[in-house]
Amino acid sequence: MATYDLTPRIAPNLDRHLVFPLLEFLQERQLYPDEQILKAKIELLNNTNMVDYAMDIHKSLYHTDDVPQDMVDRRVEVVARLKALEDAAAPLVTFLQNPSAVQELRADKQYNLQMLKDRYQIGPDQIEALYQYAKFQFECGNYSGAADYLYQYRALCTNSERSLSALWGKLAAEILMQNWDIALEELNCLKEIIDSKSFSSPLNQVQSRIWLMHWSLFIFFNHDNGRTQIIDLFNQDKYLNAIQTSAPHLLRYLATAFIVNKRRRPQFKEFIKVIQQDQCSYKDPITEFLACVYVNYEFDGAQKKMKECEEVILNDPFLGKRVEEGNFSTVPLKDEFLENARLFIFETYCRIHQRIDMKVLFEKLNLNYEEGERWIVNLIRNSKLDAKIDTEMGTVIMEPNQPNVYEQLIDHAKALQGRTYKLVGQLLEHAQAQPAR
Amino acid sequence: MASKFWTQGGSDTEEEETDIEDEIENGGAGEATAAAAGSRYLQANASDSDDSDGQKRVVRSAKDKRFEEMASTVDQMKNAMKINDWVSLQESFDKINKQLEKVMRVTESDRVPNLYIKCLVMLEDFLAEALANKEAKKKMSSSNHKALNAMKQKLKKNNKQYEELINKSRENPESEEEKFEEEEEEEDEDESGSELEDPSQIPESSDEDDEGEELDDDAGDGAWEKKLSKKEKLMDREFKKDPSEITWDTVNKKFKEVMAARGRKGTGKFEQVEQLTFLTKVAKTPAQKLEILFSVISAQFDVNPGLSGHMPINVWKKCVQNMLVILDILVQYPNIVVDDMVEPDENETQKGADHDGTIRVWGNLVAFLERIDNEFFKSLQCIDPHTREYVERLRDEPLFLVVAQNVQEYLERIGDLKSAAKVALRRVELVYYKPQEVYDAMRKLAELSGDGEKDGDETKVEEARGPSSFVVTPEVVSRKPTFPDNSRALMDILVTLIYKSGDERTKARAMLCDIYHHALFDEFSIARDLLLMSHLQDNIQHMDVSTQILFNRAMAQVGLCAFRVGLIAEGHGCLSELYSGGRVKELLAQGVSQNRYHEKTPEQERLERRRQMPYHMHINLELLEAVHLISAMLLEVPNMAANSLDVKRKVISKTFRRLLELSERQTFTGPPENVRDHVMAATRALCKGDFQKAFDVINSLDVWKLLRNRESVLEMLKAKIKEEALRTYLFTYCSSYDTVSLDQLTKMFDLSDAQVHSMVSKMLVNEELHASWDQPTRCIVFHDVEYSRLQALAFQLTEKLSILAESNERAVEARIGGGGLDLPLRRRDNQEYAPGTGGGGRWPDLSYNQGRQGGSGRTAYSGGGRPMALGQASRDRSSGQSRGTGGYSGRSGSQMDASARMVSLNRGVRG
Repeated sequence: MATYDLTPRIAPNLDRHLVFPLLEFLQERQLYPDEQILKAKIELLNNTNMVDYAMDIHKSLYHTDDVPQDMVDRRVEVVARLKALEDAAAPLVTFLQNPSAVQELRADKQYNLQMLKDRYQIGPDQIEALYQYAKFQFECGNYSGAADYLYQYRALCTNSERSLSALWGKLAAEILMQNWDIALEELNCLKEIIDSKSFSSPLNQVQSRIWLMHWSLFIFFNHDNGRTQIIDLFNQDKYLNAIQTSAPHLLRYLATAFIVNKRRRPQFKEFIKVIQQDQCSYKDPITEFLACVYVNYEFDGAQKKMKECEEVILNDPFLGKRVEEGNFSTVPLKDEFLENARLFIFETYCRIHQRIDMKVLFEKLNLNYEEGERWIVNLIRNSKLDAKIDTEMGTVIMEPNQPNVYEQLIDHAKALQGRTYKLVGQLLEHAQAQPAR
Repeated sequence: MASKFWTQGGSDTEEEETDIEDEIENGGAGEATAAAAGSRYLQANASDSDDSDGQKRVVRSAKDKRFEEMASTVDQMKNAMKINDWVSLQESFDKINKQLEKVMRVTESDRVPNLYIKCLVMLEDFLAEALANKEAKKKMSSSNHKALNAMKQKLKKNNKQYEELINKSRENPESEEEKFEEEEEEEDEDESGSELEDPSQIPESSDEDDEGEELDDDAGDGAWEKKLSKKEKLMDREFKKDPSEITWDTVNKKFKEVMAARGRKGTGKFEQVEQLTFLTKVAKTPAQKLEILFSVISAQFDVNPGLSGHMPINVWKKCVQNMLVILDILVQYPNIVVDDMVEPDENETQKGADHDGTIRVWGNLVAFLERIDNEFFKSLQCIDPHTREYVERLRDEPLFLVVAQNVQEYLERIGDLKSAAKVALRRVELVYYKPQEVYDAMRKLAELSGDGEKDGDETKVEEARGPSSFVVTPEVVSRKPTFPDNSRALMDILVTLIYKSGDERTKARAMLCDIYHHALFDEFSIARDLLLMSHLQDNIQHMDVSTQILFNRAMAQVGLCAFRVGLIAEGHGCLSELYSGGRVKELLAQGVSQNRYHEKTPEQERLERRRQMPYHMHINLELLEAVHLISAMLLEVPNMAANSLDVKRKVISKTFRRLLELSERQTFTGPPENVRDHVMAATRALCKGDFQKAFDVINSLDVWKLLRNRESVLEMLKAKIKEEALRTYLFTYCSSYDTVSLDQLTKMFDLSDAQVHSMVSKMLVNEELHASWDQPTRCIVFHDVEYSRLQALAFQLTEKLSILAESNERAVEARIGGGGLDLPLRRRDNQEYAPGTGGGGRWPDLSYNQGRQGGSGRTAYSGGGRPMALGQASRDRSSGQSRGTGGYSGRSGSQMDASARMVSLNRGVRG
């Protein structure tokens, strides 16, 4: 099932550190040989400062206790550099760690800078050092420290470009620490900056949007309210354009969100058009399922795709998030998805039929007879479905809901009557007003 | 420039004066000779006037008198010239014109006397001198100055009618004026000879002239070739005398002289090229050679007679060779910089090859290259495409590509990316329309001819003819174009360069070429994405005509591509706009279409002819028409069946409807002959649901052989026809059935169960068909909700009533100023709605406006430039469908919807 794995397409749009969770997931699912994944991890770590971790992986990969010399060297180097940066940033860090001193900071950035310079001899160099130090901390895997420093840095920094990259760093750190609420805030903050008109070049803007969307996947599929928000974000014209032009694989997540989220009908129709249009550039069981149900009306195909979707969801690092309940784990999204998908098929199916053989129907919905009957009865009872069950024939019979021609005619005429009366009233009023004047 | 000659120095002018004095003497004293000459004239020219002997005497004396008068006027003019008195000159000029009339009347011939022509020449030269001499002009009195200006205009106007004669007399005054032979010889040398030779330098020149005269006498006025050889001989002699004596200075002087003659009347264009070519051989420094080469190329461009004609092909080829030599020099001496921004130092080119530091030479490679390309294009426009000549000419394309490639490489190397992008665009425009097969053929040709035998020979011959040149330039740049394996790769390289560093127009054109090329290779989605993302549709109206044509071509190609890959609606969207005005030929610049209602001025016609695409770039119009009509048929036939109650409602293709009406009106329909007939025959079959016959008729079109993947396209077409036949059948006959079984439909239309089911389901969901499936029995059950005639009429009545109510409201509002009514909201609706029901009251209005806006020349092209109905497939969700739905979502009745939709659709298309 590695065919539908999106990791290779997603990873280039993520930070190195953000790829780890994906690799962990893949390792767990055993989609790829362990060796490959471990190698990939070492590759990743080579450019970070998490040398100890790399050493561990190296050991487990080659089953030795020896570590290659270059790793050892690198470790020394990293430690030395850490020391240097720490020293450079020390004045500011000590200042920030002193709660009473921090109290003196105000909302006015200019004032703060002046104050730091006058009273603590902290100039732009130290502030810059703080940034470097935070970045280094992040690369070492100390995310909470990095997040703190970056937050402070943003309060002090005047360079908008630097501030932006600090924000990206903060977002990454929060995601890695799984602080979803804070991460969401940072995400919105970042989005505003990207969407602002002053953002550099259009090309750059599109690229930033794509990064943002990729990063946001972590948040949206973990945050409680994420599934609505993902639609809000991804379905905006600008973002949808970015998806279509540069990252069509993101359609999978948007499609899933739409299926799981029932209250998004108007946008859903538009989205179906997008899917239809982009069939040539991206395809996976989830989008194909939607195409089957809403474009081609092939219910057999849809049913097949539904089964495939299950696999895809289980193997997707974002969609297949597990929840441990006692001693067995479930994938909540999978159940929800299947339930809704079934409803989709059934709804469409009912719209074009007046009599349906229940056996065939349940087959299409992957349900057994008893279960199916209960399901349909529930639907009817909740007045979601205008139909009756004929047990003798084993069929469901839909109630026709064609509007009466006469009613339509009367509707039209009524409106006319109302308007004419109003008009006459108006005229009379006017006529009366005239002589008075 | 003329001043150079005239203001050479005091001694020269003196000489001149004496000349004139001589002439005056002659003119004044030698009446007898003049009379004798006159008689000779008459015998030669006016033989038809010799009716009878007796009259002859009288007439002659009258003639003589007139001639005498004229001659005296000329003398007066000469005197006036000497004292620079323009006022009297002007008077004399008027006088001479009057006299001329008399002379003409008397001699009864249409030939203008030579005396007059000579006078004109003289005047012209003097005028040029006076104009050039600015200081003298300043000193003139105001009345004199005024007279000068008046004279300038008069002369210009007057001389136009005698232009030919003047030129003739300038080129070889001696041949026609035997009587002034002796006196004039010297002047001759001064006038025409001064361009080439300094009399003092060449003592034997008089002999030369005699020889030249003989030649001229033989060959008449077309003698330039021989003359040329004469002059070349002269040049040779001059420089051959002793090569060691030739210095940079002599060459430079000569060069300046030759250049000064450029553009002057009487300067043979070919001669100049020859002279300059000769000079390149004797150039002393590479920079000088370069400078002269640039002039050679400019002179070669001058050879082209007018805007409409093209440069002679052999000259073009030489031009290309010269470009290559220029590049050789530039590559060999990297310190030479070509620039057209600053006027370089006079003696810049004196610096030798070993000079270190940059040498600036005036010139513009890109402009030259573009000009060469234009000439190539023009020659292809002019040559009859069905001749061998055309094919021969096409073979020259690699030649140009070599130069372009080298220029581009050079420009990239020196970092002038903007110009490089321009050159790249020229290359793109030669490649973009070529399918892979043609591209391969060109590659092969380039490899064959690239061996350089022909080219090499030519240069060798040229080099060998003159003395071996002082600055030998080895062939540094390759004479062979290099092509990647497929055209896509080449396009990608070039287009990327252009997108990076081109200016707006270059980028837009490159983008269009790119789109065209993608479409040619059946990559519809890429072409569509490029088209939509570049927003070219929105601003194409503001671009130049040639770009608009390119846009139309790209659009047509995208339409064809969409059809080939089976996207009928998209294809129709692309093409319908092209066909809506009935002037496809004009929009694609593939021929001039005649319009009955709109006469074109000759000016417009000429402009249009200049825009024409060469034949080998044409998009086959028959195929285009077939594709357009077939897609229109596939969309329109089920649509008509669905709205059978009111045919006028919801028209997809107006063109198609009109054609159909025409063909239905015929009393007798013969077997189909052209594309249109075929499609109409197919339509008739399809309306009845007979898919097989429809397909057979369409299959018999012979345009299909133009398609590369003919089989698969026809296969696709057949499937589509079947589907549409099914839809049409259901629409047409649904009222006659209560149920239809799935099996029956599958059998009838030779489709699979799943296909039929899917098709029918789609129709059900879209509420095109009021029915539903009965699953256990596999039947379609029709609900009886189709309106009866009475009901339909009732709906129409309510609709009309609502219009009435609305117009009432509007009337009241206009009267009492719309107070308490909730009009604002409704009014907005009205606007959406009223024109649709008012029989399209808006349509003609709109198109009229458009016609006026565009101006006469532009209308044709702005038509194609409007955003196409591709909006349906567009990301730009604001156009097309979505806007359509927005307009009428508030309405409840389905009938009203339909009418509103028509308007919105129109608006969607209009943009």
